[in-house]
Amino acid sequence: MLEAIQSALSFLPDGLVTLLIILLKIFALLLPLLGAVAYLTLAERKVIGYIQIRIGPNRVGPRGLLQPIADAVKLLFKETILPTNANLFLFILGPILTIGPAMAAWAVVPFDDGLVIADIDASLLYILAMTSLGVYGIIIAGWASNSKYAFLGALRSAAQIVSYEIAMGFALVGVLLAAGSLNLGEIVTAQQGSVVQWFMWPLLPLFLIYFISGLAETNRAPFDVAEGESEIVAGFHVEYSAMTFSVFFLAEYANIILISLLTSAMFLGGWLSPFEGILPESMLTGGALGLLLGSGIHWLLLKTAFFMFLFLWIRATYPRYRYDQIMRLGWKVFIPITIVWLLVVAAMVVGNVGPWFD
Amino acid sequence: MISMSHFLILGAILFCISVAGIFLNRKNVIIILMAVELMLLAVNMNFVAFSHFLGDIAGQVFVFFILTVAAAEAAIGLAILVVLFRNRRSINVDDINSLNG
Amino acid sequence: MEQTIFYIFSTVLVLSAGAVITVRNPVFAALFLVLAFFTSAAIWILLEAEFLALTLVLVYVGAVMVLFLFVVMMLDINLTVLREGFARYLPVGLLVAIIMVAQLAYIVGPARFGLDKFPAPEPHGADYSNTREIGLVLYTEYLFAFELAAVILVVAIVAAIALTLRKRVKTNFMKPEEQVLVKSKDRVRLVKMAAEKRDDQQAPND
Repeated sequence: MLEAIQSALSFLPDGLVTLLIILLKIFALLLPLLGAVAYLTLAERKVIGYIQIRIGPNRVGPRGLLQPIADAVKLLFKETILPTNANLFLFILGPILTIGPAMAAWAVVPFDDGLVIADIDASLLYILAMTSLGVYGIIIAGWASNSKYAFLGALRSAAQIVSYEIAMGFALVGVLLAAGSLNLGEIVTAQQGSVVQWFMWPLLPLFLIYFISGLAETNRAPFDVAEGESEIVAGFHVEYSAMTFSVFFLAEYANIILISLLTSAMFLGGWLSPFEGILPESMLTGGALGLLLGSGIHWLLLKTAFFMFLFLWIRATYPRYRYDQIMRLGWKVFIPITIVWLLVVAAMVVGNVGPWFD
Repeated sequence: MISMSHFLILGAILFCISVAGIFLNRKNVIIILMAVELMLLAVNMNFVAFSHFLGDIAGQVFVFFILTVAAAEAAIGLAILVVLFRNRRSINVDDINSLNG
Repeated sequence: MEQTIFYIFSTVLVLSAGAVITVRNPVFAALFLVLAFFTSAAIWILLEAEFLALTLVLVYVGAVMVLFLFVVMMLDINLTVLREGFARYLPVGLLVAIIMVAQLAYIVGPARFGLDKFPAPEPHGADYSNTREIGLVLYTEYLFAFELAAVILVVAIVAAIALTLRKRVKTNFMKPEEQVLVKSKDRVRLVKMAAEKRDDQQAPND
């Protein structure tokens, strides 16, 4: 398909065609992503509603399915309130700096074998670098609002994100030890074979720690002290309204989807089918059945959807952590466990422990 | 094409800016610390440029070590700054003179 | 193409470095320093040093500068005192900086480091991995230096914590391990006593 577009555009200069194709790829990724973000908000309200034995939004459209669109229209037409004593430039820059890295990180995420915008060599490092940039938006927003609640929320959130990034990074070190590569596509293909080959088995503690740190990184319940509506009103985005407010939420939900997708790619074999090595090879290739049961993007999306549901489930189940308990969990529990398990993984890799590393 | 001297001159400009920064902000410890970081960045720029144009990876390894040491330096420097502010309520360099003879 | 990218990023880099040392508010200085680090990471990618560029963003922008911003935002600094002498030293500082730039540019200029002296190396193929190349020498030739770097980091952690840790006297810390171990008989004493009879006949709730 790309070649067809390329030849159709051949009357344009070469550099422009490349640029247009790159832009096309970015749109093909970002539009479904934004749609997923919009419907994740609806899913969140519905799931939490059913968990709390109520129905959730059901007025706009059939079964409330048009609710996200109504929300978006409402937020678009509301007035963006700019506090008088706020630093306006930084106040506007804050949301932009939050959403930018959240979107940029998607550039290296592979959806299927070779289905990736930028197949760079150190894609895992790139994702770590991009997610670590997201904290600036929060700090700047909190500081520029010139409000003590916003500032407290920003400080809490920054300290939390920086602390959990370490545990997260160590968990990723385990993954790249096991896969022997920093490239996400190669990490997924290293798990080929059968369900047993998936990295969630040899790296079980790292898998759990990565997902829990992901909860903390995205400021989700039970780690949402940065918002903490009962203590500091709404944290860093207390002064934001309308579009600027919704941009923060776009970024948060895009990050949730990113963490879910990365967890399933790095620990659950990404687009690999769980029936590999169980069903005969002939059933996995060819025919409609092979499309369904064989490896493909649908498996990745299914696994991602499961982790997204887990995010919502956890939010509906657990009460908020106290701040010092969050810090204790991050520094005194997660980091020691990851370091110990890194040694175990290294020993397993060196000792060719089967069935993963032989 | 970009030649090596492009990168080296960029490094030189960065270095001189940070030297001027220490010159101009003689009272503010935070800006001085930032200027030191900028200086290290200029040095790193040269290392990376040399490594690329001479085809020797050792330059990049050195940048790696400089990054490590600079991170340690920044952490300790900021810790000292916080302790200083806690005791003196100021970060003015002129106020740190209780050891002068 | 490459040249335009280089000039765009280096202009932003030099301007933001200039802003770091001249802006009034240290918070803005820190943010401009972040911009400087980010643009130089982009320039390093032009030099085919992806690993270091990403590490620079991860370590400096993601961790060290957050620390800087934290400290700068939390300290309540009197800016006017700190800006004293800025205007006075400005001419001298500028003069020294310009002379230094001129000297350095003369030394490292195109006459000695131009393309004819050091031709641009062939761009690496798609299968070249910068991370792998660094790893190969880092864990063999520079192993001891690498371990020394680790020791330096540990010392830095210990020093930073030792410097800033203080025991707050007045906070009521709860110890979870003690909380969990509490039994009901430690806190509540059940007393068995015979029922007593009221003397007055008034209703209890009026």
